[in-house]
Amino acid sequence: MDYDPMVMDAEAMGPSVKITEAGAQHVDFELQNVDLAFANSLRRVVLAEVPTMAVDLVEVEANTSVLADEFIAHRLGLIPLNSKNVDDVSYSRDCDNCDNYCDQCSVTLTLHARCTGDEIMKVYARDLVVDQGRPNQWVGNPVITDVDGLGTIICKLRKDQELRMKCIAKKGIAKEHAKWAPVAAVGFEYDPHNKLKHTDLWYETDAEKEWPKSKYAEWEEPPQEGEPFDYDAAPDRFYFELETVGNLDPDAVVQQGIKVLQQKLAAVIQDLTEGEGGANGDAYGGAPRSPDVGMNGGNWQDQGYTTPFGSGNASAWGGGATTPFGATPYGQNGSGWS
Amino acid sequence: MSSKKKTQEPDADVSMGDVPAADTEVAVADVNDPAMLAFEEQRIRILPGSLATAASFEFQKEDHTLGNALRPEVEFCGYSIPHPSEEVMNIRIQTYEGTTAVEALEKGFNDLMDLCDVVAEKFVAAREENVSRMES
Ligand SMILES: [Zn+2]
Repeated sequence: MDYDPMVMDAEAMGPSVKITEAGAQHVDFELQNVDLAFANSLRRVVLAEVPTMAVDLVEVEANTSVLADEFIAHRLGLIPLNSKNVDDVSYSRDCDNCDNYCDQCSVTLTLHARCTGDEIMKVYARDLVVDQGRPNQWVGNPVITDVDGLGTIICKLRKDQELRMKCIAKKGIAKEHAKWAPVAAVGFEYDPHNKLKHTDLWYETDAEKEWPKSKYAEWEEPPQEGEPFDYDAAPDRFYFELETVGNLDPDAVVQQGIKVLQQKLAAVIQDLTEGEGGANGDAYGGAPRSPDVGMNGGNWQDQGYTTPFGSGNASAWGGGATTPFGATPYGQNGSGWS
Repeated sequence: MSSKKKTQEPDADVSMGDVPAADTEVAVADVNDPAMLAFEEQRIRILPGSLATAASFEFQKEDHTLGNALRPEVEFCGYSIPHPSEEVMNIRIQTYEGTTAVEALEKGFNDLMDLCDVVAEKFVAAREENVSRMES
């Protein structure tokens, strides 16, 4: 068997991260020596589960513009708001301090614009006035990156048209609504030479000629002429290109992403360990429950196993139903539920 | 294929896609708040028919992010999302003698946690190096 010291070294080192480029709103990095599933989890979490701030509630006091209230409310929602240290903000829905919203779980921005001249007036994100009462000094500030310091355009007004609105920004994640996305895009790439054949390239005559190579193709060894397919090969270099919308620093997005992943893990680990050590039997009542009653014991599922639907060992689906895993060749089914 | 009425056959070919709509008492509490998760009621349960070394787990409010990333060292591990509009993810684990499925599951999660720590650490180090490289 071939012994490649390079490979051994890389494996011994464990995961590694190399940043190739970074700026105020983007970071490009290579993640090495992790499996595809983990890299993908990081991508998913960064894209959809890192919390940010966005306008979620709009109280319209006056709108005589040509745009409908909900049209403007939607536009307000999409304005990126600074979300630095968003951990200081609690989720409105489980705020202990209030029933609706308060300065611990929201930031209020007021918009008041009226066109008095003959010229068309443009209302921008910079016209949003942020209330003082808020969890920290950054959170809720409209993100303004253009040279003129205007920010996103919200609406245009003609003479005597007016906007008067109170915008309530809340913390949320993009899984609920895309306005909370911290990133405009996450580039995710691996195996630039498609050696693993995970991509099936469409072509007229020759895929090799018709498809331009990614810039990462130079980083990896191109396939040799007539090289046999390696059935054991697995991807281990992943190229991320992360571009934020400006509400969080790009590296904060990555770090928060990992944190979210860890919070998920912590929650399930806690759920598992609590279930094991915790009181079993009646204490749980009819609630769905996890593996508690000493799994190592022989007949752990004969007692105390409850489903939300009934008592004792009743199956969740009534008698005679099969579970997706019930009838396996790996062992007899648990007694009493079929 | 209707699985509700089907009588159980020992060698019935039951695909993972056929999980009947299981839990009607899905908690309304919010998924999106990691802080809340800790206080929530049990989100994990063992599915009927499980043995100590071959068990199926049902996770409420989890998806590919956790299901696919979990790679315990066991004889068999697989996950499925029975229906895209239900926030449920199932994991099947079969272990070799000596460890139970629950232990393997737990170890899998703990290893993932450690991996996250390492990657976070490496990222911070790479970022610092990048900053100092830019400044010099
Ligand atoms: Zn509140």
